[in-house]
Amino acid sequence: MSDYGAPPPPAYGAMPPGQPPAGSPPPNYLVWSILTTVFCCLPLGIVSIVFAAQVNSKWAAGDYAGAQASSTKARQFAMWSAIVGAAIIVLYVIFLIIISVAATNNQ
Amino acid sequence: MSLQRATALVTARTAGGPGAVARPLGVAALAAAAVTYIAAVDPNAPGHYPGCPFLALTGWYCPGCGSLRAVHALAHGHLGEALARNPLTVLTVPVLVWIWVEWTWRQVTGRRRERALPAWVIWAWLGVVVAFWVLRNLPGFGWLSPA
Repeated sequence: MSDYGAPPPPAYGAMPPGQPPAGSPPPNYLVWSILTTVFCCLPLGIVSIVFAAQVNSKWAAGDYAGAQASSTKARQFAMWSAIVGAAIIVLYVIFLIIISVAATNNQ
Repeated sequence: MSLQRATALVTARTAGGPGAVARPLGVAALAAAAVTYIAAVDPNAPGHYPGCPFLALTGWYCPGCGSLRAVHALAHGHLGEALARNPLTVLTVPVLVWIWVEWTWRQVTGRRRERALPAWVIWAWLGVVVAFWVLRNLPGFGWLSPA
């Protein structure tokens, strides 16, 4: 009888205390980071890609709490990118209106 | 309603319910409306759309510069023109469609997401975006620039 070839014992120590949240990885909001970087031209989108990658890295490593925290960050940055993008568009439209009003007044 | 609460409502799971398909359909309708608008109102003509704020501030192209013109070209079936304006946008469209299909499938079947994309795929995506951002501003990479 030898232990050669026996499977290694499960790495209980690698798991954080508490149950992992039921199999479903936290959302990484990757789609928002794609939309803001490619269609909104915002450097903020880059930050949300970093957090999206962290969610999946940490989840794969068994760091469920860390994955959850990165998910929250990813959501915040996605939200702010969307808000800033919308604000820029609204400001631009207001700017265009002011320009056209000024142009008609000068005629 | 607070911002947090609004986001929670937007991201709440509705899988399995009768309205489960409504949200993917709503997103598809929004996307179709946006593409139709961009197809009809030509972004090549000045004054139709706001320019890129990053370009205006720094004089450098961002990864999104040329995306409106690329979408316009794609909507008219001009793949070559779309690639010339912004190849990253052209690459992104099938990815977004795939994400939408996967999401719709989960909504319809009511299944939870069990797999996470390998993190290296997202890091690689980050690398592609940053490399694209830098290269399209360098001489010799005119084919990546939106001009």
